Amino acid sequence: MSFDTPWILFLLPLAALPLLLERHHSRAYSWLQLLPSDPLSDLVGLLLKILAALALLFILLGMAGPHSAQQQVEKIGEGAQIALVIDRSASMDDPFSGTTNGRVGETKSAAASRLITQFINQRKNDMFGMVTFSNSAMYVMPLTQNREAILAAVQAAAGTALFQTNIGSGLTSGIALFDKVPDSGSRAIILLSDGAGRVSDDVQQKVRDWLDHMHITLYWIVLRQPGGLSIFDTNYKPPENAALPPEIELYEYFKTLKSPFHAYEAEDPKSLAMAIEDINSKEKKPIRYVEQIPGRDFSQHCFFLAAFMIALLLGVKYLEVRSWH
Amino acid sequence: MQQNPAQEFSYHIGWRSKGRHPGRHSSIQTGLGMEFRGHAPLIAYPDPRRIDLRQTLRDPTEQIHVRMFNQKSSIPVYVVCDLSGSMGFVGERSKLELAADICASAAYSAYRVNDPFGFIGFDDDIREDWLFTSTTKVHGAFELAERLRGYRPASRGARGLLDADQFLSRERALVFLISDFHMPAEALEKALSSLMRHHVVPVVLWDGAEYKKLPEFGITSVTDAETGARRTLFLRRGYRERIAEAFEARRTQLRNLFMRYDMPPFFVEERFKADDMTEYFYQFVAA
Repeated sequence: MSFDTPWILFLLPLAALPLLLERHHSRAYSWLQLLPSDPLSDLVGLLLKILAALALLFILLGMAGPHSAQQQVEKIGEGAQIALVIDRSASMDDPFSGTTNGRVGETKSAAASRLITQFINQRKNDMFGMVTFSNSAMYVMPLTQNREAILAAVQAAAGTALFQTNIGSGLTSGIALFDKVPDSGSRAIILLSDGAGRVSDDVQQKVRDWLDHMHITLYWIVLRQPGGLSIFDTNYKPPENAALPPEIELYEYFKTLKSPFHAYEAEDPKSLAMAIEDINSKEKKPIRYVEQIPGRDFSQHCFFLAAFMIALLLGVKYLEVRSWH
Repeated sequence: MQQNPAQEFSYHIGWRSKGRHPGRHSSIQTGLGMEFRGHAPLIAYPDPRRIDLRQTLRDPTEQIHVRMFNQKSSIPVYVVCDLSGSMGFVGERSKLELAADICASAAYSAYRVNDPFGFIGFDDDIREDWLFTSTTKVHGAFELAERLRGYRPASRGARGLLDADQFLSRERALVFLISDFHMPAEALEKALSSLMRHHVVPVVLWDGAEYKKLPEFGITSVTDAETGARRTLFLRRGYRERIAEAFEARRTQLRNLFMRYDMPPFFVEERFKADDMTEYFYQFVAA
């Protein structure tokens, strides 16, 4: 319990005034000893004084503005905040080749969209945001719990693709979604892309800092052409005088992140589903977060009590004898 | 001067005055009176007007006998008035106004029968400024009664009553002791025993507003006029009845106490009627 204006508490002794001072309007009576003692009268007299004192006390307390201290309550929840950063480059319109589940010709983006929709439907408590990118990032949806909106956004992402891959811009925009959103304790970015682009040094630094600062886990799902270059291939040696392929370079960069990072490779809808399933299970960890409950203001209660006491006193005033000598 | 002229009452006393001043009361003083007292030789009581011829002739020793009579004498009359705080109670009427009425009435009545009248006021002490020396002049007494009418007593007790006998006459006097007798019984008893020498008429001033005409229902705060103590009263039917009972018990107590000292009390409530006082004196005179 603390007070807004504690110095008013120094005035609290004033509340004892009704106990110390006698009532001003009193009738002279010849000899009180002759009046038989009456416990009820004495009780009423005492109550009146106490009521008056309490009324003053509560007014003073109310003026001091009591409120309980803010409390921190630890809560355990499941809801994660997940930003979907989805590649919309032209290559995403290519179908997976060599699929096994009869969906021959399903484009990467359609498969991603279908599986992500499933993923979203499995996670009832999460907040989703979405950013797509190609040449530059496209802000689609802030972090929201509105499932209809996010599902519609995912559906839309399956449409015709655009141009090229600018992962750096997509990542920064995806990270920016978390800005000014209270941390739920479980934050993740699912970066879904085929191939990769180069990310400049300062963007790399920025992404690294931000991911670390905002406690965001990065999941990177690479949609790979079957038989194409694997980012997990450590033995790959680039041709002489050539730079590393951007995927491997990006993977190497992501491995230097201070925040958690997981990479998946998917070459068909099945492996994509497995990747997403893995993410789903990884992000299931219960989140432990501390909720701040603001202190409650009790001055209104004090004033209400004081008003109640004064009302009682007024009632007694109404009962007061007026017609006596 | 007086707005309503003082009412006269007549008072009779059952004892003999020792006073030499002629008055209306039977006396032990020999003198010009109608009450035969006995015979005396002319030598001893040289009043040839009263020679009793028959007694003289019947006396073989041939002494001349004179009839002796008791004269009627005056008695001193005092009003000893309580000026304590409780007498400031104003109910139907101010108690002190009532006391002033009685005082004026007693003074006038005494004046009519040529008795000297004196006044002694007391609260916790005898009040020097409220002493009125015994005199047969009535005017001063009326002025004093007027003064009394406007007096507002301080919050003081009534212990001065114990000293009142020192300010009364040496001879037996008729003392109207005006008070509400709101004082402890022990103190009153002590005071009464100090006044035994005199013929005391306790005039008990009570007011209906003190106990009978209380408000029906309500809460009020009352202050003791003498001690200043405060109490909150929650008046209701049961409590009002208990207050009235307490006053009735007090009345009985006072009556028993006064009767023990052979001083029948005279209760006055709200109005003083001189005829009632006359009646009061008549009831003790053998017909």
